[in-house]
Amino acid sequence: MIETELIALLKKRDRAAFKSIVDTWQDMVYNTAIGILQNAEDAEDVTQEVFISIFESVSSFKGESKFSTWVYRITVSKAMDHIRKKKRKKRFAFIQTLYGKNDEPVIDPPDFFHPGISLENKENAAVLFKALEQLPPNQKTAFVLNKVEGLSYLDIGEVMKISGAAVDALLHRAKGNLRKILKDFYTAMNKN
Amino acid sequence: MDDKFLNKKVDDIMQSIDGIKRASPRPFLFTRLEARMENEKNIWATLSSFVAKPVVALICICFIVIINAMVIFMANSPSDSLTQQGNELAAADEYSQVSTAFYEFENPKP
Repeated sequence: MIETELIALLKKRDRAAFKSIVDTWQDMVYNTAIGILQNAEDAEDVTQEVFISIFESVSSFKGESKFSTWVYRITVSKAMDHIRKKKRKKRFAFIQTLYGKNDEPVIDPPDFFHPGISLENKENAAVLFKALEQLPPNQKTAFVLNKVEGLSYLDIGEVMKISGAAVDALLHRAKGNLRKILKDFYTAMNKN
Repeated sequence: MDDKFLNKKVDDIMQSIDGIKRASPRPFLFTRLEARMENEKNIWATLSSFVAKPVVALICICFIVIINAMVIFMANSPSDSLTQQGNELAAADEYSQVSTAFYEFENPKP
């Protein structure tokens, strides 16, 4: 069944069409989410939220952009919302520990290992993902869409609603910042 | 660590995710998704999602700000407070609402 037919059926709340859309796009949504969130459980949670959002708001999809672009936009937006929610929770937990309401220490997440990385690159990739956490949200999004999802500059531009040249500049800055973060990290490690 | 070695290390790290494969969610995602959607159908979930909408939150904040502004404006209005004070005095005068408790306390009966 072609995409437009599937979308038309989904607008009529057809269960089979929804299942077909989930089966087709789940890897794309999950991979983007895990690249941004760096946590398998959070990525699954966001993936479910994305498909619920697609099901509920498919009527607002007018076909002006590609369906995949629309799905990517929802995924990035949901993943960013999830990060903000998590930060709020973390801040609240910290306040609770200050006031002695919660004795559990705030634990930093362990290193993230992306399941699609080859074994010999695992350690280096974990360091890169850790450094990625320190980038501003738009640079991080562009980097993940380009390097983890393999999108072209044009496609990233459509998802982020910016021009190809702006994507190029954003990725250039992201790579520069990553190199600086990594250099600082190893220089500091060497001094200790 | 010399610069040459440091640059090589950074290059290796930057290239470590080249050729990355797509990650897949656990099997039976659709079944879990359907279960979640069924759970979220209840009225409380609908209500909370409605309240959590930015538009609703913004309208509530605007409403509270307007109420506060009105209260402050009315409290600081001199003509209103004078009229109110005048009315209170007139009412007290008309019904002879003069408290005698003060004198009774000062001069207790033997």
